[in-house]
Amino acid sequence: MKFFRTIILIGIFGFIWINTPFPFQIPKNFPPPVYSFQKNPLTKRGFELGRKLFYDGRLSKDGNFPCSSCHQQFAAFATYEHRLSHGFNNQFSFRNAPGLFNLAWERELNWDGGVNHIEVQPLAPLLDPHEMAEDLNQIIGKLKKDKLYPILFNQVFGSPEINSQRVLKALTQFTASLISANAKYDQVKNGTARYNQYEQKGYEIFQMKCARCHTEPLFTDFSYRNTGLSLDTTINDYGRMRITGKKEDSLKFRVPSLRNIFLTNPYGHDGRFSTISEVLEHYNNGIIPGPTLDSSLRNGIPISDNDRFYLISFLGTLTDSGFIKNPLYSDPETGIQNYAPVDRH
Amino acid sequence: MISARGFRKNRNNLNVLRALRNVRLIPLFFLTSFAFRKSETVPSLILHFRVYVHGEPMQLNKKYRNPFGEIYEISRFRLYIGNIRPAYTDKETKLKKSSSYQLVDFSDSTTTYMELPATTGTCNGVEFELGVDSADQNHGAQSGQLDPSKGMFWTWNSGYQSFRIEGYSPFSNQPAHIIAYHIGGYRYPFSTVWKIKMNTTNDEVFKITNDYKIIVEVPVELDYFFDGPTPLHIKDISSCTTPGEMSRKISENFIGSFTGLVLTSAP
Repeated sequence: MKFFRTIILIGIFGFIWINTPFPFQIPKNFPPPVYSFQKNPLTKRGFELGRKLFYDGRLSKDGNFPCSSCHQQFAAFATYEHRLSHGFNNQFSFRNAPGLFNLAWERELNWDGGVNHIEVQPLAPLLDPHEMAEDLNQIIGKLKKDKLYPILFNQVFGSPEINSQRVLKALTQFTASLISANAKYDQVKNGTARYNQYEQKGYEIFQMKCARCHTEPLFTDFSYRNTGLSLDTTINDYGRMRITGKKEDSLKFRVPSLRNIFLTNPYGHDGRFSTISEVLEHYNNGIIPGPTLDSSLRNGIPISDNDRFYLISFLGTLTDSGFIKNPLYSDPETGIQNYAPVDRH
Repeated sequence: MISARGFRKNRNNLNVLRALRNVRLIPLFFLTSFAFRKSETVPSLILHFRVYVHGEPMQLNKKYRNPFGEIYEISRFRLYIGNIRPAYTDKETKLKKSSSYQLVDFSDSTTTYMELPATTGTCNGVEFELGVDSADQNHGAQSGQLDPSKGMFWTWNSGYQSFRIEGYSPFSNQPAHIIAYHIGGYRYPFSTVWKIKMNTTNDEVFKITNDYKIIVEVPVELDYFFDGPTPLHIKDISSCTTPGEMSRKISENFIGSFTGLVLTSAP
């Protein structure tokens, strides 16, 4: 009898655990998030469903391109060492895949801010003919045919119906939960770690020369700026102007977060810079003037070789190794992959 | 049984044709079943959207000439309508914004009717919104009429298209002679979302009562769409599939095609 009682108790606790709201912990040093799961209550099961969808190739037309093919955990959910990512039918995306973390703080998403809500963000890669190239109704059809998905949707949403809204809300439970806030930088802020002398010096230079746009603690002010990059005429990407239709937004791109910057190379909206050093050299001596160039960059940002060394030392403290090794975020089937594999494409 | 009358702005010489059209049996059959389904005590108004070319109901995939003599045919025609309310003459309307929308798809006639509960009163027009209000454009993943799988949502520049006209014309220089007016955008200054108030002509009024349902037909006259403030020559503008200035201009043309209300009452 004791044995059965134990089993029942474990069952009950297990049930409670699986239905309890999943904690969305706002890091101490972060501002309030834009997305707070008010209309999409975060649960363990919802998160797990989103995670399963994120790693499921069936969301793409030919089955080869799950979200995770361009957003790899070991690269802080950017594409490891790819300027542009691979998509359906041997095509390239036209921009560098950004890392996915702290998305709940983004009012607009994408390099040009074209996506106005985190829940509709997945639609862009899902439907883009260069990326996952699938049709929404096809995706829903595939999920409905699966044995497991209707059960999982029932558990999360109270009925087995699968529609685009539910797919997107589940995906958001996963993506908005990706919080990276335990880098050495954060530990220093919380008083549990200390910079070494190079990092400290680098932090001071950072505050002087970079923090105006890469504002702490998210390391972006979410603005759109022309940082003096030349137009790549094979891509003709005018950035923010594509969304607003305004000339004054020509060649402006979103200020990217510098968190996990050691993991998210290459850099820039089209991944034109392979290394951080190249990016710093661009600010030092590579700015192309133009009518929409950010006013703070008219004279560039002089960065000496020494400064560069210190800055890079500091930027290393933005790597959140716990984030890329967090088993909660890993592929539910293969588990954690905290090293870069051989290029699969 | 039927007290059918037509009202129209005196903009062209098509009034005779309009008058002939007023007795329409097919919609009435449909609406009879509609009426039985709903409780009879709830007063309501029924809107019916219908597309006309040269004063005749448009048929999909049929060749027409626009006012510039260019041949075209429409294969699919969709638009979002929301926040419908009757315009009362005898009281103030203080209805809350409803945030409910209907995707009218002229290839599926059931979607061209919408019944809305209304309070009884005397009216001389209706108000509605073309497109999805800016306040409802950024609420994340939606279902029902605003489900992005309905194909009216731009994924790379989030937002619902206000209307979408697709077809063919030998005058189009696009591949396969496609014409595609995917018109949307909700941000200033290139918004394509319009509040439209349509009045009956000559201050004619209609009554919303408990006893019978009134059908208000909303004609969309495509001739005015082409021959609007921005003359839409297909040889020059055969495609617009992004929000922006051109979308805005084409939407200005489109609202000119809402020419006047036609009233019918259902038993």
